[in-house]
Amino acid sequence: MATITVDDVEIKVKDDALLIEELLANGIEIPHFCYHPALGKDGNCRMCMVEIEGKKRPQIACDTPIKDGMVIRTKSDSIQRVKRQILEMELINHPIDCPVCDQAGECSLQNYYMDVGLYESRLSTTKTRGQKHVDIGANVVLDQERCVLCTRCVRFTKDITKTKELGVLNRTDHSVITTFPGKPLSNPYAMNVVDLCPVGALTSSDFRFHKRVWFLKPDEGICNGCSKGCSIYVDHHKAKYEDDTIFRYRPRYNDRVNGYFICDDGRLSYKIENKNRDSYAQIRGNESEHEYATGKLVRLLKRHHGKALFLLSPSLSLEEMVEVKRLAKYYDAKISGYDINEHDPKFGDDYLKCSDLSTNRRGFNLLDIDDKEANLVEYASGSEMLILIGRDDASGFDKYKNISVKVSINASMPKSAEIYDLFLPMKTHMSREGSFINIDGYLQFHKTHVEYGTQTQSLCDIVTTVLEEQSSTCRDIWDKSLTSIIKNIDLEDIKKESIKMSSL
Amino acid sequence: MGVKIVPRHGDSLKEKLYLLAIVGGLKVTFSHFMKNLKDTSNIETICYPEEQPKDITSRYRGVHRLTKREDDSVRCVACFMCATACPAECIFIEAVEREDGVDEKMPSKFSIDLLECVFCGGCVEACPCDAIRMDTGIFSFVKKNREDFVLDRDTLLSHKPMKGSN
Ligand code: SF4
Ligand code: SF4
Ligand code: SF4
Ligand code: SF4
Ligand code: FES
Repeated sequence: MATITVDDVEIKVKDDALLIEELLANGIEIPHFCYHPALGKDGNCRMCMVEIEGKKRPQIACDTPIKDGMVIRTKSDSIQRVKRQILEMELINHPIDCPVCDQAGECSLQNYYMDVGLYESRLSTTKTRGQKHVDIGANVVLDQERCVLCTRCVRFTKDITKTKELGVLNRTDHSVITTFPGKPLSNPYAMNVVDLCPVGALTSSDFRFHKRVWFLKPDEGICNGCSKGCSIYVDHHKAKYEDDTIFRYRPRYNDRVNGYFICDDGRLSYKIENKNRDSYAQIRGNESEHEYATGKLVRLLKRHHGKALFLLSPSLSLEEMVEVKRLAKYYDAKISGYDINEHDPKFGDDYLKCSDLSTNRRGFNLLDIDDKEANLVEYASGSEMLILIGRDDASGFDKYKNISVKVSINASMPKSAEIYDLFLPMKTHMSREGSFINIDGYLQFHKTHVEYGTQTQSLCDIVTTVLEEQSSTCRDIWDKSLTSIIKNIDLEDIKKESIKMSSL
Repeated sequence: MGVKIVPRHGDSLKEKLYLLAIVGGLKVTFSHFMKNLKDTSNIETICYPEEQPKDITSRYRGVHRLTKREDDSVRCVACFMCATACPAECIFIEAVEREDGVDEKMPSKFSIDLLECVFCGGCVEACPCDAIRMDTGIFSFVKKNREDFVLDRDTLLSHKPMKGSN
């Protein structure tokens, strides 16, 4: 520990860290372009200048090691003047096309200029032009004129993905970011450069022009693309007279799971979520009233009491799993989690992506839900009714002639609705809360509330409706059953951070 | 998001008292009242709607129009500043990529619901491109259906500025 004085306030900091890291960690604003915690320092933008007592000239905070007793000023007149000059230089060739730039509203250049800008051009020469809206691959659009040459994107492809698609071409004010001829940006994590780019030089063609960022409401969720369960922001907006819609996912920093990044497949999976929110109840392929369909589920369960088999998806939350278990017990039904579909050997890699595509397979283990094939065969042979939850693979059970009734409760519409006597939609992943255990055994909480325009209920609410009970929150379900199973971790703890489970 | 703090006016004691300003306003009202009372024949009235007002100034905030570039194409770049500033949230924009090389972005849909609009002029003030103005001089807008009060992009583009405004 070291003690330093920043703007006349003493703070305690780690002594082996870089100055900028500790200043940012203590909530002190230090403008910066090239420094990024995942990519380290580069020292090229000079935006992070601070005044250090005893040093003649301003120093860059991103390449200054901490020394005990340092006295630092971040807001003095001379520092503000330096920042203003650097920004003036950044803007010499900048097109200032904020009205058409997607980054406006979350742009570092814009934000810093708001604080210390000159607001008055002293320039009479023409600007150096660059290429605009160039598709460089992987849904990334490059605008060379807006670039501040911080090289974050170059360092990302060099150090993180090691694919090295991007580089700086030419010298002086003709320097531009570019790809190599015939070698577009293409790696499974490429779209992270859009978040990394502090300005609007790299934007996403998938998000571009669909929504201004200041309208978006970021919910903190967990990606359900695979069993890694990366932390993400779910940016959604309910425009006037329109339905709540998800516009993008962004990585949310979580040092225990995904660090600063997510994969492109996960990032683009929001589209499925949007589509699934239109699902509606069906009886043998015909649209049905929601309440009538729920009533029908109750009648079917009563008729086949003791002869039903619940088949669970390994992507349900822990809360949903215990609730369905309770429902199965009430109707004396069997329950199984055997599943081969949520697995894709081609998806996984050695970074974040995992071949197990389910979000909570370890939950089966924890909650004692059987997922052995042999047991499923035995249960299926003795059942009359099959209830698939969160999955759509009823066709695999055609050979069991004893199963006369098939029901599906799922977020997405069934591929062939006629094979189900009843289809009941449930809320999608991003429209409800829940706890999940990822592939590395981290217990995490997911809370997103993308609104529904329809009557569709969450799976937990469907269970309580069927059992004619009051609807219960995650807290209620933890108090009732999960706290006695997960003894050393509480729901409130995982709301703050992901916690590794020791007992798995 | 960056926020620029603009200085607030009206902080002096005289301004904070309000009373002086109210007295000043009442003085104007009463002087007109007395003037008209003395000479009723001179009160300006017109037989509206047969007779239309002639004293609408170029600063009058009428129904909106979308301005055009020199090549007669839409000037608006769908930046949403107007929709963001609008207190009535009655501007509905959908943005698309502009393919003709003039600019990068433009509105595929731009409509204003005049029944919700409070004619505050906030949208004109907010526009960084001078793409929306309220200088058409249109002060009366009568339609039979609610839907007809929602002006679409092409209608807004077709509105002309009133004579005398620039
Ligand atoms: S494109 Fe963006 S991230 Fe890359 S160097 Fe330019 S400003 Fe930095
Ligand atoms: S690695 Fe898996 S959990 Fe992470 S973003 Fe990709 S699909 Fe989602
Ligand atoms: S005049 Fe005011 S209320 Fe009407 S559209 Fe413009 S900003 Fe909205
Ligand atoms: S009218 Fe002006 S403020 Fe509104 S979207 Fe168009 S350019 Fe932006
Ligand atoms: S952040 Fe320190 S020089 Fe760029």
